[in-house]
Amino acid sequence: MAFSVGPQVRRWVLWGLLVALVLSMLSILVWLAGRYEVSQVQARIERDAADAVSDIRTVLTRNVQSLQALQYADRSAVPWEQDAHALVREHREWLRLELRDVDLRVLKSIDTPFRVPVFNRFGRAANQPEVVQACGVARRQSGPGYGASTYVPQADGLGLEIMDLCLPVITDGQLTGYTVATYSLSEILVNMVGPQLTRSQEVSFTESDGTRLAMHGTVRRGSRVFIAKHLLDLPGHTMVLRMDSWRGAPDLFPNVLTALVTTMAIALVTVLIMLARDMRRRQRVELDLADALAFRKAMEDSLVTGLRARDNEGCITYVNPAFCEMVGFDSKELVGRGIPAPYWPPEMVDEYGQRQALRLAGNAPPREGVESVFMRKNGERFAVMIFEAPLINALGEQTGWMGAVLDISEQRRVEEVSRASQERLQATARLATVGEMASLLSHELNQPLAAISSYATGSMNLLKDAALKDPQLAETLSSAIQRIGQQAERAGKVIKSVHDFVRRRDQAREPVKPRALLDDVMPLVILQARKLGVQVVVQCPTDLPAVFCDRTMVEQVLLNLSRNGMQAMADDTPRKVLTLGVRPAASNATSRWLEFTVADLGQGIPEGVSEKLFTPFFTTKEEGMGLGLSLCRTVVEQHGGFLGHRPNTPHGTVFSFTLPQS
Amino acid sequence: MQPTEDALVFIVDDDAGVREALAWLLRSRRLPSQSFESADAFAEFLNADNRAWQPSQPGCLLLDVRMPGMSGLALFEQLIERKLLELLPVIFLTGHADVPTAVDSVKRGAFDFCEKPFSDNALVDRVEQALARSAQTLQSLRSKQDLQHNLADLTERERDVMHLVVEGLPNKLIADQLDISVRTVEVHRARVFDKMNVKSAVELANLLRGE
Repeated sequence: MAFSVGPQVRRWVLWGLLVALVLSMLSILVWLAGRYEVSQVQARIERDAADAVSDIRTVLTRNVQSLQALQYADRSAVPWEQDAHALVREHREWLRLELRDVDLRVLKSIDTPFRVPVFNRFGRAANQPEVVQACGVARRQSGPGYGASTYVPQADGLGLEIMDLCLPVITDGQLTGYTVATYSLSEILVNMVGPQLTRSQEVSFTESDGTRLAMHGTVRRGSRVFIAKHLLDLPGHTMVLRMDSWRGAPDLFPNVLTALVTTMAIALVTVLIMLARDMRRRQRVELDLADALAFRKAMEDSLVTGLRARDNEGCITYVNPAFCEMVGFDSKELVGRGIPAPYWPPEMVDEYGQRQALRLAGNAPPREGVESVFMRKNGERFAVMIFEAPLINALGEQTGWMGAVLDISEQRRVEEVSRASQERLQATARLATVGEMASLLSHELNQPLAAISSYATGSMNLLKDAALKDPQLAETLSSAIQRIGQQAERAGKVIKSVHDFVRRRDQAREPVKPRALLDDVMPLVILQARKLGVQVVVQCPTDLPAVFCDRTMVEQVLLNLSRNGMQAMADDTPRKVLTLGVRPAASNATSRWLEFTVADLGQGIPEGVSEKLFTPFFTTKEEGMGLGLSLCRTVVEQHGGFLGHRPNTPHGTVFSFTLPQS
Repeated sequence: MQPTEDALVFIVDDDAGVREALAWLLRSRRLPSQSFESADAFAEFLNADNRAWQPSQPGCLLLDVRMPGMSGLALFEQLIERKLLELLPVIFLTGHADVPTAVDSVKRGAFDFCEKPFSDNALVDRVEQALARSAQTLQSLRSKQDLQHNLADLTERERDVMHLVVEGLPNKLIADQLDISVRTVEVHRARVFDKMNVKSAVELANLLRGE
């Protein structure tokens, strides 16, 4: 198994690599998602800072306009204090409004009503340098000028960061004084930055070196801080607006969730792809299976052997068309039927049932098959050969029996016919042999009888001459000799009657096609040929005319000659071929002849045997009577034909005989 | 017509007993015979000295159908081929088995057949008749030969005269036609009658018609 470890290990390594790749991809994904979130938060806080600065700038500008409105109002109708007081109530970011002269001396002032006057403890003079600086800027620019922010300690131990705004008062083109507004930085943050910005983050003013001046916003929460800084550039003074946002570090969980979703998506796609591939493979397998099924079906349909499957209870589960045709039942009528099967002859049901029970008990039937009798639908019985084998399913369990059923009734019938014809020919052969014996006997007895008869007649002739000398003696002798002749004649008649009795069928001649003669004897010849391992060749043109002959006797001749020919080919003969042939033979004016030949490839006929070949009771075979060839010759000569033999090429013998055409 | 004294009967049978009995029977009727033990032996006799047998006396053949070697039928075929059946009539000797064959042979020109065993003198009677036939054939053969011989003796002029005489022309016309004298015609005519051994023109015509 060493060589199979390689691919397996490689497969595991591949799987590992794939998992590692997916994991690293996912971590990169999570990391990138975190980064993106961070940058999003940062961008938003930057935008918020810019918005806040823009808001502050807008309000500051509007405040400058409110102050200018205060400056240029008609003081005869409403005193400055009244308007200033209204403004201070309106603008909570202001701590104090002052009207100063050109030399920055305070002419009028009003404090915010929302808190304790800021400058009560240490006096306004502490902040004079910033006011001077702001007003210097205002005078140079003929517009608003801001002073640097200063810290003003308060009585409660805390303090305020303030910033002064100075606006020059110009009357008829002449600087006549200044309006100074004192801002509280923290109030600026509270009032001018939108509440939505401070809800989740801390807003503060810092010096450019980072010193925090004022702040507003929520308490800190979260572990990570995002910082945005934006410059607030005012004429005369510059501050930085800093925005701090505390947020949880980008949370792992949502990103992991994303990763999970991604993983699931990947998994889903993978599963889909695998499903598609599986589907394709399944389809291919299904196609193959359908092909195999079609192939099997074609095979079953083309079979002439009946197939029948039964389950372990003897219930029919399958039959093929050949089986249906054989028994004459439809497959619907058969499938699902149990014991007794519809094709069992009723008289055999008991026997078959017992056989079936034996089968189900686990006794396998013999491999070479069982002969049985089935019944067709029309009640006809027919012999069958059944070959059964256990049906094993994919789990290795036996689910039933598969049986192949062969209809052997036709074979039986042919055997029957063959046996009948064989018996008929054998009977004829016996009869022919008896006839031949009678013929021989009569011939052999006739010879001496002819001699006796001749002598008697001769003696009578001589006696007629001698009668003149001794009539008395001549008379006596004459009557005795006459009796001799009469008795010889009587013996001859007895023989003739026996002979005629045996040969009564001599006159049964009819026109027969040569092919029909050969066809009649062929089954018997082939039967013997098979036994002796001889190949039989027939050379018979179909257009030959019929011969006029005694069919059964000529068949005997053919059988005798064929048997002799086959027996002449011993076991060591290299090619055992027996050739039966018919062809037109030499003809004379009055009749036409056909020549029948029986040729073998044996050793041929030895010199000495050739002469005695047709002699009755001469034989070279151990169990032979020596009448075969003699009989053949008699039969052929009775038909007026000639039976002879000649050597075959390369070896062997050809026996030939002629018969007249009809 | 009675058979001549010098007639000869040939017996062909493989059975010596039958041969001897038949010879004895024939001798009892004063008929000489010659026996052969097989068809082959007789065929050899016919072809003795590589010369076809020429009968000098009337003859007849008693032939057994069934014999080892060449059968009686085969010998019969040979005789048919050599056109000897008229000169040498064939009487088949048969057993019961061969009767159909024998009948067939008679149709093909055999004189007769006799079934063994023979009865009385029937066989000998048939033999005598056959011999008579043979003698007759021999006679006509001889007269034919004589005629040919006599014709060959005639000169060319005598033959011309003879043909005209046979046509029935009178001597004068014959003389005119052959451009010879009537006297010469008469001389030729007398010589023709003498050589042809006839007495009248009618006899001469009959003789020539048989040619």
